[in-house]
Amino acid sequence: MNMIKIVVPGDLLDDKPVHIEHAIIENDKTYATVLGSYDEEKKRLVPLEGLWYPVQGDIIIGIVDEEKLNSYSVNLNAPYKGIIVSKFVETQLQNGDVVEATVKEVDKTGTAVLVRSRKLFGGKIIKAKPSKVPRIIGKQDTMLRQLSDGTKATIKVGRNGIIWMKGGDVALATEAILRIQEEAHTPGLTDRIKEMLSGNNKV
Amino acid sequence: MGGENKPELIVNGKRLDGRMPDELRPIRIMTNVIKNADGSAYIEWGDNKIICGVYGPKEALPKHTGNPERAVVKCRYQMAPFSSLEDHGRTGPNRRAHEISKVTKEVFENAILLEQFPGNAIEIYIEVLQSDGGTRAAGITCAAVALATSGIPMRDVPFAVSVGKVGNTLILDMNKIEDNYSDADVPICISPRTGEILLLQMDGNITREEFSTIVAMIKKAGEKIGKIQRDALKAPYEAISERYKR
Repeated sequence: MNMIKIVVPGDLLDDKPVHIEHAIIENDKTYATVLGSYDEEKKRLVPLEGLWYPVQGDIIIGIVDEEKLNSYSVNLNAPYKGIIVSKFVETQLQNGDVVEATVKEVDKTGTAVLVRSRKLFGGKIIKAKPSKVPRIIGKQDTMLRQLSDGTKATIKVGRNGIIWMKGGDVALATEAILRIQEEAHTPGLTDRIKEMLSGNNKV
Repeated sequence: MGGENKPELIVNGKRLDGRMPDELRPIRIMTNVIKNADGSAYIEWGDNKIICGVYGPKEALPKHTGNPERAVVKCRYQMAPFSSLEDHGRTGPNRRAHEISKVTKEVFENAILLEQFPGNAIEIYIEVLQSDGGTRAAGITCAAVALATSGIPMRDVPFAVSVGKVGNTLILDMNKIEDNYSDADVPICISPRTGEILLLQMDGNITREEFSTIVAMIKKAGEKIGKIQRDALKAPYEAISERYKR
């Protein structure tokens, strides 16, 4: 039985107060706050559109935008900022540097504390919708592997929607990623992207 | 209100466009019409045509406009120069546009979960392409849908509609001519889940009894408008799940 239904903000999820992500409890009842798909059995609400909320363990790509006394502030293309503590950085960073890092924890204000940061030299970045990132990576990295095999480019995808590419056919990779983003919901996408990548290689 | 050449607005119990006093104009809503916005919607409410884009939450700039405890809402309502017969040709918002931007902003400050995004700003742009009375209500209804498509967490999807008074009859959802010659105009925005009133303006005179009738009329109309909003939000995804079933 398929128990998944689409809910809009303000829809009643449960008559009892239940702790569900992206839901609020008012008068001992639980209501949805986002447009999402709700699994009644597992009590799980997944947003269909929107924002990235930093979660512990997420691998992100960000741009250093401020140098402070003992930390760097990182733009994550999200309503929240990232922070890298200077003493955990091997090479000095500068404004505009692209870094790959892991979210260690999220503090009360929503700022993500980043660790294991690594500077990415050169390359090109594009911004994708965070809600489409899982499709760009694919199940067990299939889509991402196909992209880097097809274009011979090094591609790194941050969970926050920033994608870094270097070497190979970056233009083709960009085109493919934009297409994945637009057709994310349609079946048989992997085959179409495969065709797109291989067709260009022959020319 | 009203002039010497006031037209007869209600003939044999029907209005100028053939509607009953408590009948809405046809409403159609489309979502995700602007590619570069985080959320967007387009509404056709009778002859009103309004497009709405939502951006954010993003860093509030200049920084002093932000609030370290919650997000701020920035809203701009504007009429296109070609939207109506009157003059809207000058650049920048006029007194009326400033007022509507302010009341719309206050509606959404009470609908969005602002405390989740400290120091950020959410921008709402409402552009009226064609107007035929009741654009502030249609704008709020459209902006609520646009906000929901952007994934910004909200308590509810509010709707707005206006009720007017002609002689002793209360009429729902006035168009331009009715608006110009009516004796009173009361636009109300309601959060349908709780029934809270988020916007209440009044032009003209009404009695206490009439006011409670107006609120009841709007709540009844809200069931229809709310269904149109929800259907518009769900439509793209339900089409996809239909395709997967085959």
